[in-house]
Amino acid sequence: MKKMIISVLAKDRPGIIASVTSDLYELGCNLENVNQMILQNQFAGFFITQVPKGLSCETIRQELALKEEDRGLTIHVRPLEEETQAPVSEKEIFLITTSGPDQKGLVAQLSSIISSFGANIVNMKAVFMGGSNPNENVMSYQVLVTKEIDAPAMFAALKEKANELNLDIRIQHKNIFDVTNKI
Amino acid sequence: MFDDQEIISTIEMVKNENLDVRAVTLGINLFDCISHDLTVFKKNIRKKIIGHAAALVETCDQVGEKYGIKVVNKRISISPIALVGASFSSAQMVEIAHELNDIAEIVNIDFIGGFSALVERGIAKGDQALIDAIPQALAGTQRICASVNVATTKAGINMDAVLTMSRAIKKAAALTADKDGLACAKLCVFSNIPQDMPFMAGAYLGVGQADAVINVGVSGPGVVKRAIERNLAQQRLPLGRIAEIIKRTACKVTRVGELIGREVADILNIRFGVVDLSLAPTPTVGDSVGEIFQALGLSYIGVPGSTAALAMLNDAVKKGGAFASSHVGGLSGAFIPVSEDLNIAEAAQKGFLSMEKLEAMTCVCSVGLDMVAVPGDITEQVLAGIIADEMAIGMINAKTTATRIIPVPGKKAGDNVNFGGLLGKASIMDVPHLDLEDSFVEYGGHIPAPIHSLKN
Repeated sequence: MKKMIISVLAKDRPGIIASVTSDLYELGCNLENVNQMILQNQFAGFFITQVPKGLSCETIRQELALKEEDRGLTIHVRPLEEETQAPVSEKEIFLITTSGPDQKGLVAQLSSIISSFGANIVNMKAVFMGGSNPNENVMSYQVLVTKEIDAPAMFAALKEKANELNLDIRIQHKNIFDVTNKI
Repeated sequence: MFDDQEIISTIEMVKNENLDVRAVTLGINLFDCISHDLTVFKKNIRKKIIGHAAALVETCDQVGEKYGIKVVNKRISISPIALVGASFSSAQMVEIAHELNDIAEIVNIDFIGGFSALVERGIAKGDQALIDAIPQALAGTQRICASVNVATTKAGINMDAVLTMSRAIKKAAALTADKDGLACAKLCVFSNIPQDMPFMAGAYLGVGQADAVINVGVSGPGVVKRAIERNLAQQRLPLGRIAEIIKRTACKVTRVGELIGREVADILNIRFGVVDLSLAPTPTVGDSVGEIFQALGLSYIGVPGSTAALAMLNDAVKKGGAFASSHVGGLSGAFIPVSEDLNIAEAAQKGFLSMEKLEAMTCVCSVGLDMVAVPGDITEQVLAGIIADEMAIGMINAKTTATRIIPVPGKKAGDNVNFGGLLGKASIMDVPHLDLEDSFVEYGGHIPAPIHSLKN
């Protein structure tokens, strides 16, 4: 059975998930994964669903738009191709956390370094409330580091950049957060 | 993904609350190095220790860097030299100490523990040679730690050994008079010494241990203090709830130690032994056991209520450790070393903490009279009496107790001493009646084991 990924953006309010999933249920879709988040007052939701034969992306988008257009939802649908799993090399996850004064371009500058070493950011959070209170301007990246990546060089480059930007940076293996937070 | 609070609290533990791995201690069994020929023995121990420990420091640094948790001290504990070197004379024992000191320098560790003897039931030839060698060995080296176990709950107290150790301590102090008796800071007298302790100066590798083993000592008084303060700032809590907070914090800290210890052990291909969570202070603000007492609402450690607070603290730490890991060992509790803890040293200097109160508190802490500087003119009988009292507490309560007392030559109560580095500085504590020469400790022989030792 083919799969699709549907993204939904809207101003947050009660009932968005109930509404979208009810629509998909009526279309005969079977949900596999759902994730949502709220950034400030904006809702973002992602739905991976199995779709009945004969139902195209455009049909689903139109059906959802028809049902949800007056509710202010922005909907995007695209097919999800099954990937054959490539052999996984040895990999570890590091948490890179910075705090320090807010300024433009922080995420861009740090994520560019991570990208230049070929490392993948698998999760990221950033809160910038502005001003110079370091605890009110925090970025946290979970970065997947495979054996092929020169991790010491990447960490050194990140530390150098953080120093240049006057940020306090901590680079720690994910397991340390597991043992101190998950019992 | 971790939530913001989880990430920030973990980072705070390292950044502002002095969470670290206090010691990764590599235990090395030296029984297969035994030889009657001193040259061969020295060659054997050099080869074996360097063989196992060559990569210790580098590995600890590498793992510490990976997790963002510093491994502060890398150390080695060895089989008791009194056993593996039993055939050697006192002068030869001193030579062995120098050889070990050289080896410690080569592998870049700060201390080797195990210049030790176990004499709770009697002093054998090798034990006597080692005890005789201790003052000179410690005075002439920098990285050797010595310990002598003179009592156990099963064996009672060897009072001959107690007096012998009192004399050895006085002699070691005299040989390092120019450094305020520094040699004594590397010498512990024990009751019920653990075989797997990673902390100095009492670490040695017990005879029932593997050929090589990694034991980890984790500290974290700053983390415990901040956890108490944070919770009490939000609301007034009964002590049972505070004990629960300490327990949970101890659990987290123990898990950090085990994670790092196991990784070091895996990389070195050495068996992992135990994690010892002991609240071990350093002479730094924010890394103090004494400050925990203040967080609990006491003016200073030593005031009435301190023994109860310490009992609760020690127990909660043990429970947290036991919940975190099935391989908890060593001492696991709270240390109250006077000179190594800025706040405890201050309490003693201001008169809140006396020798008598300190001794009472050792009934419920995890070690004993630790890093206590006393006047240099204390008689050997009074010093032996203090040691015997402390050993009795350990023997009767089936717990480890120890003394690490430094009689500072030429100095009196109230004078200041500075041992440097982690050993800290303190005022010399007043010892009442320090000039007595009572005969009790000179009768020698054995104080028999208590009735509750008959458990079989």
